Amino acid sequence: MIEVKNIYKKFGRKKVLNGVSFTAEKGKITCLIGVNGVGKTTILNAIMNLTPINHGEITMGDEKISDRSFEKITFIPDAITMIPSMTIAESMQFMQDFYDSWNQKRATELLGFFKLKETEQISDLSKGNTAKVNLLLGLALDVDFLLMDEPFSGIDIFSREQIADVFSSHLVEDRGVIITTHEINDIEHLIDKVILLDDGVVLKAFNAEDVRENEGKSVVDVMREVYQA
Amino acid sequence: MSRYLKLVNFELSRFMKIYLVLIAITVISQITGIIVKSKGYLNEVHRTIYGDSISKAQYIEEYGTITFMDYATSSLWFLAPIALCIAALMFYVFFIWYRDWFGKNTFIYRLLLLPSARLNVLLAKATTILLLVFGLVSIQLILLPIENNIFKWIIPLDFRTDLPIHEMLEQSHELSVLIPRSFVEFIIHYGIGIMAVLVIFTAILFERSYRLKGILMAILFGLLAIVIFFLQDFVELLLQKNYLYPIEHLVVRGILGTIVIGLSIWVSNFLLNKKINV
Repeated sequence: MIEVKNIYKKFGRKKVLNGVSFTAEKGKITCLIGVNGVGKTTILNAIMNLTPINHGEITMGDEKISDRSFEKITFIPDAITMIPSMTIAESMQFMQDFYDSWNQKRATELLGFFKLKETEQISDLSKGNTAKVNLLLGLALDVDFLLMDEPFSGIDIFSREQIADVFSSHLVEDRGVIITTHEINDIEHLIDKVILLDDGVVLKAFNAEDVRENEGKSVVDVMREVYQA
Repeated sequence: MSRYLKLVNFELSRFMKIYLVLIAITVISQITGIIVKSKGYLNEVHRTIYGDSISKAQYIEEYGTITFMDYATSSLWFLAPIALCIAALMFYVFFIWYRDWFGKNTFIYRLLLLPSARLNVLLAKATTILLLVFGLVSIQLILLPIENNIFKWIIPLDFRTDLPIHEMLEQSHELSVLIPRSFVEFIIHYGIGIMAVLVIFTAILFERSYRLKGILMAILFGLLAIVIFFLQDFVELLLQKNYLYPIEHLVVRGILGTIVIGLSIWVSNFLLNKKINV
């Protein structure tokens, strides 16, 4: 389990995170939702130790997240993390060289799933295909947790559908996923847990299944209630 | 192969195209230069001998002979590519970090998320710079005897004075900085080089961690490194006394340099693990 405990973050005088706490369990999809600038990406960066926090604690299991954790947790940012001049094959080779958890069989399967060509250069890829390569490089690692930052941002509807299909496939399996998005429609039916954020605080955290079954509402309905209030 | 060595290999391959271009420029410029300058010298000799109607012996008596180093240290053909390589590597000390942050490139995410100590990223980049320098120096060492042979092939024996390579290096101040004359000099020259690279890397990490405030911190860290490294000189200047023998001076300088290197690595490790911002 990933536990984010009461984290605070300031950029200069601007408070971005104001005591955010939540947990994300293995085998579940946790979705951080909020408009641009509420601190979604900062939370993911903080979990991966890419942005220092001013206060609070983030743990995976009982341990603080460090470089030793990166065989068990991976981050898929909204931009490609490989050198533009590399081909997809070279990017996969890089991952294989550096990660013991790299699963070549799954990587090959993902290549076919996303209909990508190994010989294509990263810089020549469309926005949609870049997002798919990013996803491929993260999903092909045998990790317990996947962190995804806006995987649907700015890409065409067909690529969005293809990426959404990944979440319901065996490619995610029983791994824990923390995803940030404001384009909820594509994956609403797959989300287990929702964290609604505004102004660096958690406005509401709820189990999506409970809301669907007990209150007969969709995640979007709850979002409307909370944000419009 | 450890992840550190894999990173070194990866960093080297990223610079390889530019590096090969630098080597090609050096080889072409220096060999073209030795041919052009030697031929030019011979033309000048012929012009003088036939113009003034003097004998070969009279010419040599009046103008003397030339050595290979006369050409090497005075010719832009020879010195300009060396200067270009030095400038390119100095630029690369900064670029090796900033290229991973700026533009479309977000490779720094990948580097910082590797499942190995983040310090390996810094050490791999520093090792890469060192290997690139050694590579260029090696190329120069290979080129010197080749150029010397071309020089001998073009200039007749009567008009030149031949010197062994090691003596040529001793005579040239410019080359003796790059190619030290003794092991101690090697340690001093390249030790200072490594120290400077690590201090600059730490300064860059200050800037990347604290941005605008970080620039000030980087400058202060640079000044602190200078103060530590020259501490004995400052103390002696202040007290107006020289307490140490030259060999003791060297040992103290070595210790102070090691302190600066250790401090840079420790601060960089702290910044990479606790303060870095992508």
